[in-house]
Amino acid sequence: MNTRDERISFDVIVVGAGLAGPAAAMVAARAGLNVALIERGQKPGGKNYFGGAIYTHAIEELIPDFMNRRPPFERPVTEAGFWFLSEDGLTRMTVQGGKLANQPADAYTTLRASFDLWWTEQAQKEGVFLIPKTTVVDFIREADGQVIGVKTDRPQGDIYAPVVIICEGVNNLLTQKLGLIEHDLEPAHLALGVKQVISLPPETINARFGLPDNDHGLAVSVLGDVSLGLPGMGFVYTNSKTLSVGLGVMLSTLAEYKLKPYEVLQRYLQHPVIAPLVAGGQLLEYGGHLIPEGGYRDMPKLYTGGALVAGDAAAMVNALHWEGTNMAIIAGKLAGETAIEAHGRGDFSSKVMVGYEERLKESFILPDLKQYRGFSHFLDTHPEFMGTYPAFLNDALGDFFSAYGRPKMQLFKGMLGSLTGRRSLPRAAGDIISMGRAVLGW
Amino acid sequence: MFHALVAVKQVPDTTNIRIDSETGNLVREGVPAIMNPYDAHALAEAVRWKQQLGGKVTVLSMGPNSFISTLREAVELGADRGVLLTDRKFAGADTLATSYVLAETIKAIHEQDPIHLIFFGKQAIDGDTAQVGPGVAVRLGLPIVTYAVKIREVNLEEGRAVIERKTERWTEVVETSLPVLLTCEKEIAEIPFAPLPDLIRSLRYDPEMWTMEGPCNFELDQVGVKGSPTIVYKMGTPPLPQPGEQINTRESGIEEAVKFAFDKANKAGIVKLILGGAR
Amino acid sequence: MTIRRFWVFIEQEEGKVHPVSWELLGVARMLASQVAEEAAATGDDVVVEGVLLGENVEHIAQEALYYGADRVYLFDDPVLAYYRNCPYYQTLSAVSKKYGPEVFLIGATTLGRDLAGAVATSLHTGLTADCTALEMGEVKGSQKRLLLATRPAFGGNIMATILCRNERPQMSSVRPRVFPMPERNPDAKGEIVREEVEATEESAMACVLEFIHSKGESVNIEYADVIVSGGRGLGTPEGLKLLQELADELGGVVGASRPLIDSGWISYAHQVGQSGRTVRPKLYIAAGISGALQHKVGMQNSDFIIAINSDPNAPIFDVADVGIVGDLYQVIPEMLKQIRALKEATA
Ligand SMILES: Cc1cc2nc3c(=O)[nH]c(=O)nc-3n(C[C@H](O)[C@H](O)[C@H](O)COP(=O)(O)OP(=O)(O)OC[C@H]3O[C@@H](n4cnc5c(N)ncnc54)[C@H](O)[C@@H]3O)c2cc1C
Ligand SMILES: Cc1cc2nc3c(=O)[nH]c(=O)nc-3n(C[C@H](O)[C@H](O)[C@H](O)COP(=O)(O)OP(=O)(O)OC[C@H]3O[C@@H](n4cnc5c(N)ncnc54)[C@H](O)[C@@H]3O)c2cc1C
Ligand SMILES: Nc1ncnc2c1ncn2[C@@H]1O[C@H](COP(=O)(O)O)[C@@H](O)[C@H]1O
Repeated sequence: MNTRDERISFDVIVVGAGLAGPAAAMVAARAGLNVALIERGQKPGGKNYFGGAIYTHAIEELIPDFMNRRPPFERPVTEAGFWFLSEDGLTRMTVQGGKLANQPADAYTTLRASFDLWWTEQAQKEGVFLIPKTTVVDFIREADGQVIGVKTDRPQGDIYAPVVIICEGVNNLLTQKLGLIEHDLEPAHLALGVKQVISLPPETINARFGLPDNDHGLAVSVLGDVSLGLPGMGFVYTNSKTLSVGLGVMLSTLAEYKLKPYEVLQRYLQHPVIAPLVAGGQLLEYGGHLIPEGGYRDMPKLYTGGALVAGDAAAMVNALHWEGTNMAIIAGKLAGETAIEAHGRGDFSSKVMVGYEERLKESFILPDLKQYRGFSHFLDTHPEFMGTYPAFLNDALGDFFSAYGRPKMQLFKGMLGSLTGRRSLPRAAGDIISMGRAVLGW
Repeated sequence: MFHALVAVKQVPDTTNIRIDSETGNLVREGVPAIMNPYDAHALAEAVRWKQQLGGKVTVLSMGPNSFISTLREAVELGADRGVLLTDRKFAGADTLATSYVLAETIKAIHEQDPIHLIFFGKQAIDGDTAQVGPGVAVRLGLPIVTYAVKIREVNLEEGRAVIERKTERWTEVVETSLPVLLTCEKEIAEIPFAPLPDLIRSLRYDPEMWTMEGPCNFELDQVGVKGSPTIVYKMGTPPLPQPGEQINTRESGIEEAVKFAFDKANKAGIVKLILGGAR
Repeated sequence: MTIRRFWVFIEQEEGKVHPVSWELLGVARMLASQVAEEAAATGDDVVVEGVLLGENVEHIAQEALYYGADRVYLFDDPVLAYYRNCPYYQTLSAVSKKYGPEVFLIGATTLGRDLAGAVATSLHTGLTADCTALEMGEVKGSQKRLLLATRPAFGGNIMATILCRNERPQMSSVRPRVFPMPERNPDAKGEIVREEVEATEESAMACVLEFIHSKGESVNIEYADVIVSGGRGLGTPEGLKLLQELADELGGVVGASRPLIDSGWISYAHQVGQSGRTVRPKLYIAAGISGALQHKVGMQNSDFIIAINSDPNAPIFDVADVGIVGDLYQVIPEMLKQIRALKEATA
């Protein structure tokens, strides 16, 4: 329908107002480029889900004075770490103080509906033009494959730009359409994160989690008997007036055990350790979202002529640390910088786009992803890891701190027996080595 | 030239509303504000007639600045002009004061540019009162057709329209003179998916802001709290339902279990409904 | 001495009264009794009066006396033969100005809601729509008791009590079936006052060319009073016939949980829940539905919920007023039996 002169065109199109998208758009607009940010939702963030906590180092890199702009943070994370659950017990390993006492904090718990909105507003302040309620369905390409714009689901819906930055999140349909990745992500590399937001009075939250006041918050990963010994990782985040409680389970596990995600979550919430934490709360939201835990192994090609991919769409997630937001933001920034360079040079071909990958290599993103590349594979191949060790830890510590009126040597033998009864010593040693490989990238 | 006016209100999406269990107050946080759905359907019908007859569609709303987004949405759906009545003095209006402000404004717009059809929603889903439309019609001395489900005919030369309205009993085919005020059911028209150029125009559109200062001359004692005979005396949450009771047919037998259920229903006043069924 | 008038609009179409009119006469009587003491102290009279508009409807005026009106103002004229907003509201405003009622109640029917807003605006008074509770209560700063009108707001999440301090009449529209039907007393005596009709055909501004009586209604489960819903527990699409039978008997419609839509047994218009319709009928019967969160959020605000499920731990029982643990294929036929017996007994 559009004739050439009434074409809708911009310098840069960014697809997806999650975390990566507004970052890319903001950076490009700051350099004076005319940027369209296209979001399929009614509003940015409306349907976006995560745990979670947002890391300020990434935000600060784009907006040094971010604290003055009143970001809708819930609570600073002043205590973080792991909880190990057995069938009926809990061992906590968390830290407070030190770096976690920084002001502003390194991480804040957040809810996406409000954060993404604020984040996008910061981009709009730089002149980014937000186009909501519009889904990008395909690309407009030259004969040689060079991307020159996008097609949306609206009538007369073509938009042109020499650079398109794809920040579509984990459902990487567009990335696939461009042929940057050949296939859907494998179920064994995709976790389904499900969570509930449960409202409780702030005083109750403080009391239950041992927080002195509303300016302290907790973020923990929960390992072990999260949901009947399934390989998966739970989490608990304290927000101002709510808790975000949920877990991630590999899709392959759900299929294998024929479980419905909601049931798995229900069981988690009924765990004797978790249940009292959420007791009496009012369920505000329930939702699920995929997490591309495959990381490095699942990364698509990151660029092509006229287009770049950032964030979850490029599988930029560190599954062990629940880090995805910061990678998305920084990758978005680097994509934005690459778009600026391309406009500067007037060259939008792969020759310039490859600079994006170079930038990622120099940042923490590609090195981290490379180091952790074996982690999800490790979890997938060591399902017992979640069941065995946390339970052992609970038993062992339980024994250690009980007075039995027996010689202590017996106690230690018993503890060892409790481990070897679960797992032979050589296999335990093997587990430790594979774990180390997965995390440290040995 | 054909000119339709649509009154649109912004409302919280009541399907998403939550009540703070502590304070019993409405939690507005995170509750999306939307265009009152009935108004959106009415607007869609107005735009359909514009496309058929040529001419234009003006939308009108009274409310705070945040209503601008709703007027933009109206432009996205095909409106040409948006007027927002916004002033602190308008705040706290009940339906009587609202109908005053809307009616005066419609008069002023009509003088600039004669109006043929005035569209209202059947009701606003936040208050569900369905009073403002009839109120405006009375103030303007215009015929009103409520629960409109279809406009069969609009004849600008002869100054008449034929409209279908649906009541509990039947559908009426009504002939009226123009201008006429309609309050619309959702069936009146499907909401179209707007073309991208319209969306982009709407995102850049700024509605006209009309206030107490002008262009209309409002009487101070007719607007806002002063012009509202009703006041909200108190608010509360509806009583929580009693935790239900269970009966097991294996223990009680089928007949007893059903009796038990109907007995409870009876006490809750439902049996009348049961008897009234399938009249 | 003044006369404190409690008025009810007697709604009729084609000579048939809407029963809410009688319910409202009962309410008006109750409200009148709440000011009896106060009126006795000041030597005022308290009366309940009806206003009736139509053509050839005197017999209805007589009925109104049996249902508790002390007096009925009757407007009998061809211009009022069928309902039209203009002549009706003009007539009601005029008679209201003439007699100055204190309270004026109108049924919250389609006709009543069309009319009430127009009357209130033309009388420049306050109107509270769709009330579910009414009371004449003492209010600080007012010598006489005022009408406290309570109504649901925000999709029923909040109850608001509204009052109208200075303007008169205090108007309310009231939902049908909220209040009980008063006794009909064929010995009751009262007065029928014939009034002059001023409205003319010219001032009506609209005329109805045709009345179309619709036959098969399309489903509109959002607004149904009774919904009989089925889930995967039905086992086969045949089960829906049984539900339809029960729904027909109750004057309701059939709803469904999502799996039935997914498997193509019934159309999407029937789906209740998060990704379907949110409903709040007066009676919701859930048969063979487990009560997943996404289903519950769509129906938990129903006035009265009966759940039938063979699993005593099904979560649907958490929101049900009555839970029947059992096989729906035994329970529903028994329900049909009892309802039919009940109807026969009252017929
Ligand atoms: C349960 C869970 C817990 C997590 N916890 C944490 C945590 O604690 N800390 C952390 O750092 N990370 C966490 N993550 C990961 C983090 O949420 C993601 O890595 C991050 O959101 C990725 O950002 P993104 O911008 O790439 O994608 P998204 O945030 O998913 O944004 C994509 C956006 O694109 C839009 N979109 C998609 N397709 C189209 C299209 N075709 N047209 C238009 N718009 C489109 C979407 O609507 C969406 O707004 C968690 C994830 C989950 C699921
Ligand atoms: C994003 C999302 C949106 C969704 N939206 C909706 C929605 O809008 N609406 C919706 O309904 N669902 C929705 N669902 C699906 C929902 O999660 C459930 O899967 C669904 O509601 C289950 O339907 P059911 O209760 O009919 O089936 P089941 O859960 O299989 O339950 C069947 C029940 O029937 C009982 N039963 C079996 N035989 C008999 C018998 N002879 N007599 C009595 N009882 C018997 C069983 O005990 C069982 O409790 C949604 C899910 C998601 C993820
Ligand atoms: N503040 C307002 N601004 C514009 N239109 C309104 C306003 N309030 C009500 N309306 C219109 O009146 C109709 C009925 O509203 P209500 O009487 O509040 O149920 C709505 O559907 C709107 O068309």
